[in-house]
Amino acid sequence: MIQIATSTGETKDHDLWQRIRTGDEQAFTAIFERYHRTLYNYGSKLSTNSSLVEDAVQDVFIDIWRLRQNLTENVTSVKFYLYRALRRRIHVALDKFPSMEEISELDDEDTPANHTHSEAILIEVESTSIRAQRIQELLAQLPERQVEALTLRYFDDFSIEEIAGIMGVNEKSVRNFIYKALTSLRQSREILLISSLIFWLLLFF
Amino acid sequence: MKHDPYSLTELIRNEAFIAWVMHPDELSDRKWRAFLENNPGKRQTVDSAREYVILLAKDTGRHQPTQKQSDRMWSIVESHMHDDGQKMPDHEPVAVFKTSRRQGWRWARVAASAALILSIGSVSYWFYYKKADGPLQEVAVREETGTTNTIQKYNDTDKPMTVLLQDGSSVVLQPGGRLSYSEGVNKKRREVTLTGKAFFEIVKNKQKPFLVYSYGLATKVLGTSFTIDASSESEDIKVEVRTGTVSVFSIGNLDNSQKEAVLDKPELEGVTLSHDQRIAFSKESGKIIPLPAVATVTSDKDVSKQQFVFDETPVSEVFRILEGAYNVRIVYDREKMGSCPLNATLIGQPLKEKLDVICNALDAQYDVTDNQITILGKGCK
Repeated sequence: MIQIATSTGETKDHDLWQRIRTGDEQAFTAIFERYHRTLYNYGSKLSTNSSLVEDAVQDVFIDIWRLRQNLTENVTSVKFYLYRALRRRIHVALDKFPSMEEISELDDEDTPANHTHSEAILIEVESTSIRAQRIQELLAQLPERQVEALTLRYFDDFSIEEIAGIMGVNEKSVRNFIYKALTSLRQSREILLISSLIFWLLLFF
Repeated sequence: MKHDPYSLTELIRNEAFIAWVMHPDELSDRKWRAFLENNPGKRQTVDSAREYVILLAKDTGRHQPTQKQSDRMWSIVESHMHDDGQKMPDHEPVAVFKTSRRQGWRWARVAASAALILSIGSVSYWFYYKKADGPLQEVAVREETGTTNTIQKYNDTDKPMTVLLQDGSSVVLQPGGRLSYSEGVNKKRREVTLTGKAFFEIVKNKQKPFLVYSYGLATKVLGTSFTIDASSESEDIKVEVRTGTVSVFSIGNLDNSQKEAVLDKPELEGVTLSHDQRIAFSKESGKIIPLPAVATVTSDKDVSKQQFVFDETPVSEVFRILEGAYNVRIVYDREKMGSCPLNATLIGQPLKEKLDVICNALDAQYDVTDNQITILGKGCK
């Protein structure tokens, strides 16, 4: 007889990884299905060239299959491994040299000042649609590395430690990327004040 | 200057806070509720911060590939899987029945949540997310002897699409649905993989059960008609039987040899459903839940709701109903045949069988090409 009420069918990444090592195509397909979309999303923050990103995502998976017998047995996080591999691929394709890049980003001043007053306005006045619009505008303007850190943190749900590992910087830098991005949100508050004023005016008349 | 660890910016980047917003559990929920009780003045800040976290997740995830890009990437990866020379020679590659990808699954969830917040404004409201990662989509892999030819049908139109299978069965694929199957020689069973919604009318063959796989659910029939709704966005798969009997079972927890044994048996086991019965299968838990039957409303447009009962019905009307139900074009001599009366009950039969019955009554022949059916006959006296 078949058991009907089964437990969850979710197979852990780790098990899939072990199965890929033994040449299990089903496990490989499952990993591709699970991650290719978010990897592509992440890759799109590193390059605006969509065919380059597609190629890089493909290559990451092709390499895993090709080198499956030599994959490390104890990969701590398959997701982390994939993201880091993708980043390397894209940077190689873009001919970027990480070491050069890192030097220019070493301004690690950590200054969480108190902005409680200006925040009050942000919290109370702003409507959701204005917020949504502003986030969108903000992300379009931010430096690439800040967007990258935000994506890994908020969309991909990596920890600060993991993001540091993927981006090849220390945790403090990651915190700074995110902090700077979030403070940019606040800096446009004058614009916000005007737009919210218009919003409320429209609402009342 | 005093530093406030619960200011808006600090909350937005606080790991525990993000974790609570994105996938709360009992512990984090209790913690943050307690925080709010002790700091009622922080309620607005917390609500704003929640919203920002959700908006950030939504916006940073807006670059997901289109279905076309996904397919393209997969086909290239797949082509590399089989040309590495590690496979046995003279052996066809394993046919992988791939279920369609979950397009923007997570994005949709976040967007839906954002929309929810939008609708309730800034009034504080507590809601839960499900854990962000859904269960693994079940992929059915099978090995074929002889030649296989995997066919994928994807309905990217906004109208139903009828797929005629080799054995004479018909499948009406709703927009967005994807059906893949092999036209190879499998002696033991007929198999298709479905994502999306489709209505099946299956030719009876007790020796060769017909199986539909969708996200870990297998639906097994011997010959009958039924609807499966396995949309990628939905957490449940729904199976609704029109005629005959089908059995459904979860294959997520069976290993390969068990699966083979169960699938090959000619008997129906697992949960069996007969006409007008419905079940829902939870992709996440793998549980099968019976649903109350719904009264059938006959509709010309929905093939699964059609009764196909004809009593002295003019053939022109019969063809009109078939055209609507299967979204096909039927070409015939209206002058000669249009007014011929037809008596038949064709519910549950595949399109081809219906045409057989009709053509038999009219002493006519039919021919199917692409989306067009041509009926040739002399008509009635």
